[in-house]
Amino acid sequence: MESAALMSVANLVKTYGEVRAVDGVSFSVPRAEVFTLLGPNGAGKTTTLEILEGIREADSGEIEVFGRKLRRVDRATKERMGVLLQEGNFEPYLKVREVLRLFASFFRSARSPNEVLREIALEEKAASLVKTLSGGQKQRLAIGVALINDPELVFLDEPTTGLDPQARRNIWSIVSGLTAAGKTIILTTHYMDEAETLSQTVSIMDHGRLIACGTPRELTSSLGQETIVEFVAGERAAGASEALAASCRSVRNEAGLVSVETDDLVATLRRLLDWSREAGVAVADMVVRQPNLEDVFLSLTGRRLRE
Amino acid sequence: MTAILAVARTYVVTACRERETLFWFLVFPLLLLTLLALIFGNIGESGAMTYDIAVVNLDTAPGAAAAAGVVAALGQLSVAEGESRPLFRLHTAAADSDPGTFLAAELDALRIGRRAAVVEIPQGLSASIAAAAHGSVAAELAVRVHKSGGRTSSDMAASIVEDIVAQVDHSLLVRMGLYDEARALRVERLDLGANAETFSYVDFVVPGIAIMGLFVSGLFGVPGTILFGRERKVLRAYWVTPLDVPHYFAGFALGHLAICTIQLVCVWALGRFAFGAHVALFRPLPLLVLLLASVTFLAFGFLVASVARTANGGMALANIVNMPMMFLGGLFYPLGQLPSALRAIMMVNPVTYLGDALRGVTGTAAASFPLGVSLGVAAAWIVVCALVASWRLTWDVGR
Amino acid sequence: MKALGTLLRTEATVFRRDAMSMTFTFLFPILFILIFGAIMGNTGTGEGSRLGLVVLSGAERAALDAILAESALTVREMANPDELEAAVTANDVDFGAIWDGTALVFAYDVRRTQDNFTFEELARGLASRLDLAIQGRTSLLGVEVETEGGEPEADWLTLVIPGIVAFSVLSAGLFAVAGHLTSMKQRKLLDRLIVTPMRPCALLGAIVGVRLVVVVVSTFLTLGIATLVFGIAYDVSWPHYVAFVITATLGSIGLGAIIALVVRQPSSASSLANVLSMLMMFGSGIYFPVEVMPRFLQAASHAMPLRHMADAARYAVGVMDMSEARFWAICGSLLAGGLVLLPLLARYIVRADRR
Repeated sequence: MESAALMSVANLVKTYGEVRAVDGVSFSVPRAEVFTLLGPNGAGKTTTLEILEGIREADSGEIEVFGRKLRRVDRATKERMGVLLQEGNFEPYLKVREVLRLFASFFRSARSPNEVLREIALEEKAASLVKTLSGGQKQRLAIGVALINDPELVFLDEPTTGLDPQARRNIWSIVSGLTAAGKTIILTTHYMDEAETLSQTVSIMDHGRLIACGTPRELTSSLGQETIVEFVAGERAAGASEALAASCRSVRNEAGLVSVETDDLVATLRRLLDWSREAGVAVADMVVRQPNLEDVFLSLTGRRLRE
Repeated sequence: MTAILAVARTYVVTACRERETLFWFLVFPLLLLTLLALIFGNIGESGAMTYDIAVVNLDTAPGAAAAAGVVAALGQLSVAEGESRPLFRLHTAAADSDPGTFLAAELDALRIGRRAAVVEIPQGLSASIAAAAHGSVAAELAVRVHKSGGRTSSDMAASIVEDIVAQVDHSLLVRMGLYDEARALRVERLDLGANAETFSYVDFVVPGIAIMGLFVSGLFGVPGTILFGRERKVLRAYWVTPLDVPHYFAGFALGHLAICTIQLVCVWALGRFAFGAHVALFRPLPLLVLLLASVTFLAFGFLVASVARTANGGMALANIVNMPMMFLGGLFYPLGQLPSALRAIMMVNPVTYLGDALRGVTGTAAASFPLGVSLGVAAAWIVVCALVASWRLTWDVGR
Repeated sequence: MKALGTLLRTEATVFRRDAMSMTFTFLFPILFILIFGAIMGNTGTGEGSRLGLVVLSGAERAALDAILAESALTVREMANPDELEAAVTANDVDFGAIWDGTALVFAYDVRRTQDNFTFEELARGLASRLDLAIQGRTSLLGVEVETEGGEPEADWLTLVIPGIVAFSVLSAGLFAVAGHLTSMKQRKLLDRLIVTPMRPCALLGAIVGVRLVVVVVSTFLTLGIATLVFGIAYDVSWPHYVAFVITATLGSIGLGAIIALVVRQPSSASSLANVLSMLMMFGSGIYFPVEVMPRFLQAASHAMPLRHMADAARYAVGVMDMSEARFWAICGSLLAGGLVLLPLLARYIVRADRR
């Protein structure tokens, strides 16, 4: 009987001296979905991924992948996996097609480099040296390399970090296409929009632990029916915060930017406008929005995803 | 293409495309061979120098045969013969000038390098020689040759003048009937050091350059690729695939051997077609030595890579180690007496034994060590390097 | 001024941490001298050359022994020609002589291409003296050699060391630009610095300043080691020495500037600098006399800055003489070259990188 999860981990632990980089992490990754590990830098996402990719060994815990229980990811498993490393590099003096051919030779069966080039939209650059590629192009090549063996499971470690918006969108469209083709993706990121746009399942990680897990909608709904109101009040922000505190779930003041969580939007807005009139302060840049994953993280940890 | 071949191909292709690597493994040995061959290949034939010589003849009394003889002999060498340039350019005092002033002026010119030598024939030289001839005592006066301190050209000019004066002396003795040509001493020359008849410096140096090229490729190429590859996570990209270290290493070694082959062919070809060297590198025994050398220096490169902590540190270490091993390996000239510290390095240095072995089996020089010993030392180095590297070398950062 | 001070300190720290620069500038010259000094120590003047002697039985040897006793050679007697051959090829003696009463055979190791010149000269002297002595004669016309100027006792090593000093100054200056500065350009560090108020002259000043200090220290060290280890006493003229070090450093930096400006890719600059410095090292007559090289190499040698730098260095340490005018002309040209190229170098720093 096939389980619904392609991969699952149980109680994974990895310690470096005093620090527990991965502190009893358990999750399971459903088939043909994008599973995202979301968290700030240093949360343990990459370490977890490295254990699953087989380049690091966990101190304890269980891994089950492709229906087999393993302590350590082995060669047979790697045949069916594709990996995009964080800050990885290729030989700068190889041509793009040569890189794909090189990696193709590592697997028992691989796709044709030309096909992959088409998929990652690098056909024009097939004969260019790696060192002449832009950041976005290098990343697309890295994805191509991760796909060269037509893997069932693909790891993408921070795939869009440091890229410009256009390049990020290119990568996103490639990733969406992968699940359409039936592949399972494990993604790590500290970008909230990436997690929301691409993923079916999001696990939030902080300090080596999973602190929440679910679909993006489930996670944001966990905050209840609240709405977020944000505005700029400059020096008078303290006064505004005080005025609104009673009517809201929480008020946050970060250097003049006030952020309010409220269950009763209308009441809060009324209080805000009243105060604005009484204090004679113009309220600027007001935004009313639904909560997002950043807000979820904030409410769980008291910190932002990106410090 | 299998993984091993693909990795080997990558090694070769990137080495040929990257300018720094190309310099070390190709340009450097070829350049060195060219320089050494040009400079020392000509040493048998005298250099094409014309020396500026001043001749100050203070012995102008009538009948001063000796003085005249010297001046004439020097004069002969200042005349061009056919195509070649004359050896000397003579400067003599004008007819009406004061010889003393002229001498002083020429000595100044000598000091600052405008003359290679100043030949001073003191007053009364011929008379003193005539007196010595009759009285069978040593002559009181001699030709004075002034040379400039710290200048090799001056040393050379002075020694040439000494030779000429000796010839004039000889002809004087013959003319005075004091010397019997029939009883002249027979002097012969014996050239030693295997293949002496056909010896040319180029033949001697080509095996040395071949070994040096292999040495430099291993010493710089290996740590460079491994250490930078590890730091930049180029290697890690391989370890997340089914490719494992043994297969990667096999491909790496194969690629390295391919590079060594290219290098050897180029060195041999340059030596053969540009400098007429005849060194039989491509016979079974020399090929064995060359193969062993390639593997030895590959292993040595891994040793350096495993000892260094960072990529830059590794390259610095390679540079520091490079010089003593290359120069204390007897590649460019035979090593004579050395102080014990340096001798110790020489006796431990694999370059010494491999260079010696290659020369021996190609017949360009007599081997100082038995072939078995040389091969054994190289093999021992391979084993030691392999052991240390396999113990210390990490193939991924931060494990 | 404060900016310059900070830049100086930063440059100094960067230099200190750059293992390669430290190695090349300090370690190399010293290593070179120690190794070459030990290897080539006794050849050159022929003093103390070792002669292997075989006198076949029955040969009349009184005259030969007398001549050998007078010479400065170290004589080792061997039993037979085979033993001599072994000794010559094993380098236990420098050359050999076999005397059978009528013929004198000199044996040389063909492979010692550089040194045999000296031994052949010694052999010629021996042969001619023996030739005359057999007939009961001595030579009539002799030669007295006098050395004018420079260091009369200078052997090969004494001459080579100032050349090595000149070479290390050249390296320091050359690689400061075609190496250090070009790598900064390559890594876009210069672009980052340009957008600050820092003036390019300040950065240049810092680079030059650090190199000057480094060069002074390293040349002192080199000379010091030569004196301590090999007992060479140089008669250094300090004004000339200081002038040489300063102008040579600036000139070398100028040379590096030419390379940086001419070469398109910053990464190729250090390779080109490597090739040029190696060519100059061999062709400038520091290690091998220019006189034995083919004519075109001799001509090329005159064009090499290193040749003149080495001459100037030898003059400054009292080993060789030259006209004052020439010394200052050399220093002047080096200085001029450096100064002329510094503004161009400043422009190089701020010039946007065209790819």
